[in-house]
Amino acid sequence: MNIRNFSIIAHIDHGKSTLADRLLQETRAVDERKHKDQLLDSMDLERERGITIKAAAVTVPWEFGGEHYQLNFIDTPGHVDFTYEVSRALTACEGAVLVVDAAQGIQAQTVANAYLAVENDLELIPVINKIDLPAADPVRVAMEIEQVLGLPAEDCIQVSAKTGEGIRELLDAICEKLPDPPAPTTDKLRALIFDSHYDDYRGVVVSTRVFDGKLSVGQKILMMGTGRPWTVTDLGKNTPFPVQVKELGTNEAGWMVASIKTLGDVRVGDTITLQSDPAPEALPGYEEPKQMVFCDFYPATSAGGGKKGDFETLREAMERLHINDASFTYEVQHSEALGFGFRCGFLGLLHMDIVQERIEREGGVEIVQTAPTVSYMIDLKDGSSVEIQNPADLPDPNHIEGIREPIVKLEMICPEDNIGDLMKLCDARRGIFKSQQYLSETRQILDFELPLAEIIYDFYDKLKSITRGYGTMDYEIIGYRQDNLSKVSIMVNGQPVEALSLICHRSNAEHRSRAILAKLRKQIDRHQFEIALQAAIGGKIIARETVKALRKNVTAKCYGGDITRKRKLLEKQKAGKQRMKTIGSVNIPQEAFMAVLEQE
Amino acid sequence: MGLTLRQFDGDPASPEPPPTLSSIIGTGAHRFDAAYLHVPFCFHKCHYCDFYSVVDADDQQESFIERLVGEVELQARHVSGPLDSVFMGGGTPTLLRPELLSRLLEAISTHLPLSDGCEWTVEANPETVTPEIAEVLAAGGVNRASIGCQSFSPRLLRALERRHDPASVPRAVESLRRAGIGSCSLDLIMGIPGSSMADWRSDLEQAIALEPDHLSCYGLQYEPNTPLAAKLARGRVEAVAQEVEAGMYEWTCERLRTAGWEQYEISNWARPGRCCRHNLVYWTGGSWLAMGPSAAGHLDGVRWRNVPRHASWQAGDGWPLLEDLERLDDSTRHGEQLMLELRLNRGIELDRLDCMVQGDGCEQRRVAIETGRRDGLLELESGRLRLTARGRLLADSLLCQLV
Repeated sequence: MNIRNFSIIAHIDHGKSTLADRLLQETRAVDERKHKDQLLDSMDLERERGITIKAAAVTVPWEFGGEHYQLNFIDTPGHVDFTYEVSRALTACEGAVLVVDAAQGIQAQTVANAYLAVENDLELIPVINKIDLPAADPVRVAMEIEQVLGLPAEDCIQVSAKTGEGIRELLDAICEKLPDPPAPTTDKLRALIFDSHYDDYRGVVVSTRVFDGKLSVGQKILMMGTGRPWTVTDLGKNTPFPVQVKELGTNEAGWMVASIKTLGDVRVGDTITLQSDPAPEALPGYEEPKQMVFCDFYPATSAGGGKKGDFETLREAMERLHINDASFTYEVQHSEALGFGFRCGFLGLLHMDIVQERIEREGGVEIVQTAPTVSYMIDLKDGSSVEIQNPADLPDPNHIEGIREPIVKLEMICPEDNIGDLMKLCDARRGIFKSQQYLSETRQILDFELPLAEIIYDFYDKLKSITRGYGTMDYEIIGYRQDNLSKVSIMVNGQPVEALSLICHRSNAEHRSRAILAKLRKQIDRHQFEIALQAAIGGKIIARETVKALRKNVTAKCYGGDITRKRKLLEKQKAGKQRMKTIGSVNIPQEAFMAVLEQE
Repeated sequence: MGLTLRQFDGDPASPEPPPTLSSIIGTGAHRFDAAYLHVPFCFHKCHYCDFYSVVDADDQQESFIERLVGEVELQARHVSGPLDSVFMGGGTPTLLRPELLSRLLEAISTHLPLSDGCEWTVEANPETVTPEIAEVLAAGGVNRASIGCQSFSPRLLRALERRHDPASVPRAVESLRRAGIGSCSLDLIMGIPGSSMADWRSDLEQAIALEPDHLSCYGLQYEPNTPLAAKLARGRVEAVAQEVEAGMYEWTCERLRTAGWEQYEISNWARPGRCCRHNLVYWTGGSWLAMGPSAAGHLDGVRWRNVPRHASWQAGDGWPLLEDLERLDDSTRHGEQLMLELRLNRGIELDRLDCMVQGDGCEQRRVAIETGRRDGLLELESGRLRLTARGRLLADSLLCQLV
């Protein structure tokens, strides 16, 4: 039996899911009546956002040149935040179909994904999709593909996933051009976990590709990264509907169930082997998931009165979601100012948005999300280092040798006209220019290195507005680097408010502080005395706002009929004051902290 | 066996009939200090006003007066002693047709027991005080008028959607005096959107020049559910900065003090001996009758408000239907007394203060008074606790800790 393990890679919205559907349909794998649009995306949320979060493998038959082929289509997550997962899914393949929109041409993720595939030694089949569009310009796009990726323009297959044009040619090309899977290097079992998801009835379902040996029902297996043993209870393939099998042979892909209760017990990239006869070496490339972006979630209603019940509802929602997505972290956070909430870590910005949305939608709880921050490595004078995710955890400044922050390699593809403005934007965000390359006569690729902290803060919106929506970006974390970073403390009448402190670069500390103080000023009622709102680095004040003293607070009229009403108004004023936090004899409503911290 | 039809007055789902005033004063006789009558008619609803009023209802005046007169008769039977003041407010009582106004005044003087020298005030819109109306008022026994002057600037009156000619104010004062009503109070509003310190000075000087014996100077309040508050919320008017308004207030206190006026309450000034006795009943825990829709009354710790429904504020037996019926416990009553009496310049005698703040659960009040003294909002002066000049400007910040 001939086997072809392949992925489809594309920039978002270039039609990957539709193409996948069409491929399955063409192989008669999908009954028209059962056909749901974009079969591989199983969650509503993914469907709505047009992105694929969880991967899956589908096995379909095809005939080419009089021979039978087993096509294992391995789906990949479609976003930068899941780069590691994408790379694991690609490792499970020998080839990839690179889809480019016939009207939009190459975009940042096209390039990033193509490089990722090349790094994994994958054979690429370039496909120009949506040739049915009036704005389609397949000739230009083929030139871009040749120019940027070095794939001959004449090798591009032109298809329309919508009309079905070119689909059979593509299936034939997959059989013809993609290589056979490599011969096994050992007779001991080695299977790569490239995805996992949680199923309410079966527990964790692992997607795996067998490289060496075979995986059978009843085997006692060992996960080499986590070192945990399990027993295989069920194996199967998706055709695309799940079909049970007794075993997955060498180079086959499918799913495995092994009484695993939570996703936290399974790591994408890990290698499955036999407990009784383990392989000497795991498959290469395993990494622990690393959270890079952090923020706090608080129950939205806590601002109104801090009911314990809202926090419990949030906790349940977090626990439930974590069963399905072990790649975010969360821990209880209690702040004097904000009450109870969770400090959460995410793989990236989109991941954060997705988790927030799912918590709200699936958990039925409204949350307030604080502006995201990154993790910092703090090098201490004694030679040790600590990683912190919260400015409040920063050690005594006297012990700090330096602060390092995560750096990303950023690739942007944009119209030539916007290059100057994008350069300015990156410059203002402490970017280091790396390279610039023509993609076509009107578009360029820009490479920069930037601190992650600078792109999580409205960078993508700026890029979109500068390029009027045409620019695209992709980033990858490349390490930590030291810079002139400081902790900024926010003080109310000389009293530091820990919940509002932040770490930022010295060069934009004033700017950031002023924005925070201006927001805070609007939230604090005038008191009988003037209130100083200050931002300080060490002992040095770098920004100040003043809440002027209250000059007049008196009900002018109090007629006979008004007495009850006036009394109730005063009682309300009193109750309002009692709910506030008192910092440096200033009453600050919880809403004020929320307003300052909340992401805009 | 006949069929009994039961008629519900109000929500048929509710088994309890709505309370009427009969349940409070309908048996026996009670000691009242004053009476308030509400006449809801207006020819225009001003944009800052949150009093209950009805517009364009000329044809309803007669039936209204009949019912109000009936209520005067009914309530008068339960008053044990003489009243020291009567106040007719609105709305615009002077909008009544002369014969109807006369009929109402006659009912009051016939049925209600009035003390010798009873203060009898009518609230007046300056444009409605014709010589004829002034004569009717004087002949009916009215001896004091409170004129809604607000401002002498047409521009500022427009900002309030108050439509009267400023020149009508001196004309009204003159008509009242000629008829024999010498006691006049003028209401002014400070801090009207678009007003400056100079505007306010001009308004106050013009008011003083008319030689009233009483002045009420109110800082403009943006009452919820008024068009003015809505405009403010939408940014269509800009409130005068509180620094400016505080300056206006401080200047007013000084100007009137040097001219020999006595400030007796946060917003009220009088010529010696001319404080409004009716207001003092409200502010010192007195009891008063309430007649007419939306009028509020008080008797020994029980507060009520007649429903604000012009067409049907009375039940079938003529007693007003009530809303906001409230029986105050001691602590709430003490809180109200603190709120009201500290607004008076004379303040509260320490002996009386003691019983308001000494009980269990009054810790917060005692702390607030100490803090108020420390912050210069309160002072002790000849055995009384009272607001300082600064305290009068920040009274609500203090009083909200005392209610």
